[in-house]
Amino acid sequence: MRFFRSILPSLLVSGACVVSAASSWGFEDATLTVQSKGAGVGGGLKEKLSINSPLSKQVTLGATDTLKIFLTTTDGKKAKRPHQAFLTVTEQASGLEESFIFSVKDSGKGKVELTHKDIPTPLLLASEPLTASLVIASFGSSTPYRSKAFEITIERDQNAPIAAGEKPVRYGKLEEIHHIFRSDPKSPPKIITLVFTAAVLGALPVLFGVWLTLGANVNHISKALGSAPVSHALFFGSIVALEGIFFLYYTSWNLFQTLPAAAAVGSVAFLSGSRALSEVQERRLAGLR
Amino acid sequence: MRWLFSFLVLALLGAVQALSSSGSRLLVVLEELAEKDKYSEFWDDLRGRSYTLSFESPKNDKLSIFKHGERAYDHLILFPPKTKGLGPSLTPKLLLEFLKKDGNVLLTLSADHPTPSAIVSLLLELDIHLPTDRNALVIDHFNYDTVSAGEKHDVLLVPAPKALRADVKNYFEVDGTIAVPRAVGQGLGNTTPHLAPILRAGSSAYSYNPKDEAEIVEDPFAVGEQLSLVSAMQARNSARFTVVGSVEMLQNEWFDAKIGAVGSKEQTTTANRAFAAKVSEWTFKETGVLKVGRLQHYLNEGKKNVNESAVGVPEHNPGIYRIKTDVSYTIEISEYTSTHLSPFVPPTADDVQLEFSMLSPFHRLSLTPLAQTANSTIFGTSFVLPDQHGIFNFRVNYKRPFLTSVDEKRQVTVRHFAHDEWPRSWNISAAWVWIGGIWVTVAGWIAFVALWLYSEGVEKGVKKTQ
Repeated sequence: MRFFRSILPSLLVSGACVVSAASSWGFEDATLTVQSKGAGVGGGLKEKLSINSPLSKQVTLGATDTLKIFLTTTDGKKAKRPHQAFLTVTEQASGLEESFIFSVKDSGKGKVELTHKDIPTPLLLASEPLTASLVIASFGSSTPYRSKAFEITIERDQNAPIAAGEKPVRYGKLEEIHHIFRSDPKSPPKIITLVFTAAVLGALPVLFGVWLTLGANVNHISKALGSAPVSHALFFGSIVALEGIFFLYYTSWNLFQTLPAAAAVGSVAFLSGSRALSEVQERRLAGLR
Repeated sequence: MRWLFSFLVLALLGAVQALSSSGSRLLVVLEELAEKDKYSEFWDDLRGRSYTLSFESPKNDKLSIFKHGERAYDHLILFPPKTKGLGPSLTPKLLLEFLKKDGNVLLTLSADHPTPSAIVSLLLELDIHLPTDRNALVIDHFNYDTVSAGEKHDVLLVPAPKALRADVKNYFEVDGTIAVPRAVGQGLGNTTPHLAPILRAGSSAYSYNPKDEAEIVEDPFAVGEQLSLVSAMQARNSARFTVVGSVEMLQNEWFDAKIGAVGSKEQTTTANRAFAAKVSEWTFKETGVLKVGRLQHYLNEGKKNVNESAVGVPEHNPGIYRIKTDVSYTIEISEYTSTHLSPFVPPTADDVQLEFSMLSPFHRLSLTPLAQTANSTIFGTSFVLPDQHGIFNFRVNYKRPFLTSVDEKRQVTVRHFAHDEWPRSWNISAAWVWIGGIWVTVAGWIAFVALWLYSEGVEKGVKKTQ
């Protein structure tokens, strides 16, 4: 037990448990190569993998590169073929995992090849470096081996971007939507409105003033009321009343209240108007106006 | 008449005593009835939850899950057949028909015998994939039971499942480790939201074929957490279908087996019994069943009128609103938990949402819990109706993994402003000029009439010369 603990700290870290077994799985003579398509033999990265600690160097895998790992799996000190020999690539943030299977011969010599084509799209699109770990295990009581071997950065081809693919439907909370209302109609600044309203209202005294300078007067009012008091009072009153009805219609009445009232006032104006206007005609014929 | 009615109520009460929210008739289909004693504790647990169990062999010619065109049972437990299939009365088509009629199915698999193609094709219909090798089983060299599978590593020790996502309730939490002996791993299709894994294999597990790949695994069906050991499918009608990858885990032997984890000398007892109870509870709709109570929407006139009484009164909701009015919406949701309805509390990362939509949603708002009654939560919100008239829907479409679906739609008309609801012209400052113009004209007209009627003629001479 103690012996294992001292030489295999990484084993413990990785959570692989130490059994009181005679042997444990591992590997030796592990080499990692990354080779570009164009580069000749010997070009590209070549590193030795250690069983105890992960590779300190970052491994970069370009779009046309091939990553190869050769190793010899061992059980204890002997080379032996395990049942499970995986290179597991994990995205730490999401926990996504994909395992690549070593092809291992009876002698324990194993090999795995990795290109962009083999890696699933979500892992290819990962922004952080992926963690690659080696898993070597088999039946029986030998301690299985699982440890981080290196970190791998995926270098995507800028000219051929990979489509992320449509996100599959999952039931869950959706984003909130708040209706955007049309903006309310706006009025011009009040000061401008007030100036123009004052101008409009000011037109009335101006009009009266002009009339007065032209000699407007109401001198005949006593004469008119004297000769036809009822019809004049009714006629003028009905004209004022009609404007009053318009005012009520504007403020509170509806059309069905307005129309009968207007009809009543209108007929009064019609009947009294003929009398009142003939009185006005009489005054005109008399040369008084 | 009244005594007849009360007898009827009594009779109904007697009929609805099962713990499941959807019935108590449970059919167990297993090939060798002699085998059923191995699972007696599981049956006792089910009987304890007041199910009436019937045991049938698939070979029985008279077996039928339908009677007069309706379901003859509410729930089904299928055991893996040793022969080619489940026979003519349990074809995939009939089982899907059973699901369509709201029946629930618990299907078990076993790696001891090749899985019949009838079951493979049934699962394929639901987008659950089984290994192409019919003999495949799941092993894990890192998490196996050292007591019973020290050599073969085919008894997996899996920790109790955690919540699937932060916003999904966990109905399968148990205390302890679950032993999964000789399981058939399942792969779940990625495109459907109806599937969810209940129990996943550990990240070092893989599926292999013991016949062809005895020496080394070359092309495993699935690896790691992609392997689902127990998976769930909930159909659109909320019928439930659960696949248990290992029928053995339901046996008495495994309900209280002593297991030893790799690396520890201590032996612990499995949590299989609790887990089997949780899985069957969920499958047979004892948990995760939502019920909508009263649903209200009303014009918000400043009064706070959330009615907290849970009495089932009929809905008196307005059928018409005006645009841009403030409207309140409340919905009462209960969750059925084994024996009774209790207030539904969504996970913290999740919300019940209301959509106010005409073809597409104009508003999608999260509802907040306003009040709780003895057995329901009242969710609600207030919002201003959009400035668009038409036929709208208040819609709560709450579909979540492991919960029965809630889809409540209420149609309302939203009208535009009536002619007398607009602001009066004197409230609009821009209109003052025009209003002033009108009244100036009125005053001028009256003055003109008075002048015309009562004015004395002046400057006659001028007039004459003209």
